[in-house]
Parts: sequence; structure tokens; C-alpha cells
Amino acid sequence: MIRKREVARRVFAYELIRSIHQIGDEGERSPKYVLTPTGERVNRIFSVAALLDKEEIRPDSNIWRLRLSDPTGVYYAYVGRFQPEALETVIEIEAPELVAIVGKVRVFEGMKKLVSVRPENIVPVEIEVRDYWVIETAKRTLERIKAMENEEDEDAKLAMKIYSPNLEEYKNMVKQAVSAIREEIKVFEEEKSEEEIEEFEFEFEEEEWDLSDLLEE
Amino acid sequence: MDRIEELTNQIVEKFERKGIKVNKSEIRKRFNLLINEFKVPESEAIRTMTNFLLREYGLSREEVFERESPLIKIGEIEKEGMWITLKAKVAQLWDSNSPNVSQVGLIGDETGMIKFVIWAKSGKREVEEGKSYLFKNVITDSFQGRLQVNINRMSDIEEIDEDIPLPPREIEIVGALIAIQQNSGLIKRCKECGRVLTKDLCAIHGKTDGYDDLRIKGVIDDGENVYEVILNEDNIRSLTGIDVEKAKEIAQEKLDRNAVLNELKSRLFGRYFEIKGIRGGRYLLVKDVSFYKPSPNEFTLEGFA
Repeated sequence: MIRKREVARRVFAYELIRSIHQIGDEGERSPKYVLTPTGERVNRIFSVAALLDKEEIRPDSNIWRLRLSDPTGVYYAYVGRFQPEALETVIEIEAPELVAIVGKVRVFEGMKKLVSVRPENIVPVEIEVRDYWVIETAKRTLERIKAMENEEDEDAKLAMKIYSPNLEEYKNMVKQAVSAIREEIKVFEEEKSEEEIEEFEFEFEEEEWDLSDLLEE
Repeated sequence: MDRIEELTNQIVEKFERKGIKVNKSEIRKRFNLLINEFKVPESEAIRTMTNFLLREYGLSREEVFERESPLIKIGEIEKEGMWITLKAKVAQLWDSNSPNVSQVGLIGDETGMIKFVIWAKSGKREVEEGKSYLFKNVITDSFQGRLQVNINRMSDIEEIDEDIPLPPREIEIVGALIAIQQNSGLIKRCKECGRVLTKDLCAIHGKTDGYDDLRIKGVIDDGENVYEVILNEDNIRSLTGIDVEKAKEIAQEKLDRNAVLNELKSRLFGRYFEIKGIRGGRYLLVKDVSFYKPSPNEFTLEGFA
């Protein structure tokens, strides 16, 4: 029996970098998932984000750290020679650039758990693609938040237990993302959300990153 | 009744229906030996027994097993091991990498679609995409958890002058193209059989020249489901303006056939598409594909914000 391909989930950066709980670890071959604070079980993601920076982690290592941002926040992705298709793009691309990225989510357990993405593929895309991605991701996120409120499924209950998230905070995140897009397409009246999402910083300390996982494969 | 007794009765009945009286206790004894002592798989035991009896009574296989399997619809296929006759249209031919397989693909009637395999050993004619046939005496089988029909030596394929409609279960999806698989872009196909060549080699016909074709095998993902799709030259032309001729120019200019795939990837990967198609076997059969243009009211997120 061939394993079914994992669906690429839609998760905003703000939520993604807070998704530190791993499930399904037993066995080398079984797929690994992270549970997000709104109860999505993620193995693969599809994201459209601005590539802000690319940086080779050591000279000639051919492992690149990418800093990516969607309207809600920043996340990191690592590309090495085991992701040849993504690597090809990364070498050519010049930041900043809007990209579509498909990849696996990893949690590195150092002093602190850090979430990153290991891209399978990265391709520059147009603004329209980003706009629709934000809307799609907003819809999916709102569905999940609803499932959390109604305690609809096991993953929602589990996420509630592990993260006990403030769902208003995630609603605000969605609101912020959508209004950022709306301002830009100008099809809609200005309708800025009044609540502002708290400023957040992605804390990052290089020493903490355990790259052995990345290098082994 | 134990299993040995059951099998014995089945085989005795099978021969008696043809008016051949066989020695029941002898059969029981042999089944017992094969299955209980030698631990031979049941299906092999049955085959061995059948061959033994045919030899023993000097019969030809055809005399005993000439049969007309019931004509049924694809939707009525329930399990493996059914001998059936189908009236169906060849919806799609796939590439086969095995020299044991003459053709593989999908056939359909108004009730459903199913994968079919014409074994090379069957010695049967080849079928063409879009044409309808009577597939006589084919057997259902399961491979990797999916049902299929096998066309073997006992089967017959007759072209019919009827256009069998495919199932109306057309679906419309909107999703992003999140993967492009191997053997996409500017490919070469075998002149004899249309299979995709790898390094100018056809799995069946060996080294051959082949002709150029353009296609994308990809994955469309809407965040909830994945759909494997094949975009053909027409689909690719309507999306990008690139056809086989243009693709060949690109390849020549860059001195690299892969340049075509890179070009297609940069124009299509990560984009959202609206696809009309029919779910069949592993692939979604694409009838219509276009870049997805969301309507402005999709951006309002009803009931929120």
C-alpha cells in the first residue's frame, strides 16, 4: 500500500512559528506532524511569502537560511543539497521576492523549540497569488478556530489542552492579514481593523539551532 | 463444512456442469495434501488441481472453461476475482514501464471508471483512447488496494460502434499546483506505442527515435485534498502559450530540454487553478483548466471582519 500524499496545509507565519508540539513520532518511516495552536495537523505546508533574506549558513556549505514573511509574521526555511529543486531557485533568486513555497515543517529541539520549514520547492510568483493565498489561509484558519470553539474534533481538543490559545489573538491575526490584502486590492472600502496585533519578534539565536537533522538526510 | 470440503465441492460442481464426473474423494485427498500438509496457497492448489483434472480426463481448458461472463457495469464491480464482460470507453492510456504490460489506463462507462491492464502475454489487440470496446471475459483484480480489470489470454476485445458515455461525476476544484513530477515538460514518446521514453529507450520497443510531446504530471492541492493531474499539450498551450513547437525552440536555444520544464515551472508552480475534470483511478482527468481568478466578494470573508 502506497502512503497517501500529505496535504499541504495553509497556516499563517504567526501560527506556524508557535507550532511546537510534534505528533506521530513513532517509527522512522511514519510521517511527522506538528500540531498548530488552532488544531491543524501539519506535515507539509503551502505558503506564499516575501523572501526577505537568503544567507549561506557557512561559506561553501551550500545550506541556505531563508527569512520569509507573510502579513502576520516571519518564519525561517533551510535549503540544502537534499532539496535540489528548491536549491536551484535559491541560488538564482534575489531577495526581496514574492515566492510560493512548498515544504515540510520541522521542529528543532534546542534550548527552546524552534520551527522552520524545509522547502521542497520555491518559485517566484505574482502578487495575485499571494492575495488569494492570504484569503484561502484566512478561511482555513477561521474554520479551525470555529472547530476549537465548538471542540469539534480530537485535534482541536488536543490543541486546546496543549496550547490553550487565546482564540481572539488568532482572529485578530486573520483580520490583520486580510485587511492588509484588502487595502492593497482596493476593491473594498477601507475597513481597517481597530485592534492591533501585538508586535512580536521572532527570537532567533543561531547557536540553538541543531542542524544535524538537516545534514543527515 | 471445512475449507477442503468447500473447495472440493466447488471444483466437482465446476466439472459436473460440463457433464464430467470426477472422483470426489481423490480430489479431497489431494487438496488436503496440498493445502494442509504442503501449505500451498489456496489459489495455487486450485490451479494445480484443475490442471491435474484436465490432464487426467484428457480435456482442453477451453472445453471446460469456455464461458460467457456476465455483462455488467463498472459501478457493479465489487471485488477481485470476478469474471465479467464490460462495455466501456478507453478514457486514458498511461505509461507502462513493464514489458509484461501491453497497455494500461482507464476505461469508463456511465457508472464509473476503472483501471485496466492488457497483459503482453494475452496477445490481444491494442486499444485507442476515446474509442469504445466490448471487453469480454476480463477478470477483476486488486493492486495496491485498488480494483482493476485484467485482460488476459481468456479475454477478448471487440471494438464497438457505440459511444459509451463516461460518468457524469465531474468535479470542479480550485487549488494550487504544488508539485511537478518526473517525466514532465518536453518529453519523447515511442513511435510504436506512445510510451514515454527514458534516455531514448522504450520499455517495450527498445532504442527508438520517438516523437516530442509536452505534458505536466503534477499535484493540485486545495489544503484539504490532493489531486494528481496530467496536463497535456492543449492544456499547457492554453495556460502558457507554449506548445510542442515553441518548447522545441526553447530547448534548442538553451541547448537543454530541461529548460522547457524550468520555464513551465516558473509560470505554473504555486499558482492557483480552476480545474474541471473527472476523478478516475489515480489521476483527475482534466477537461478544462484555467488560472483561478477569485471574484471580489471572496475577499470579504462573509461573517467575519
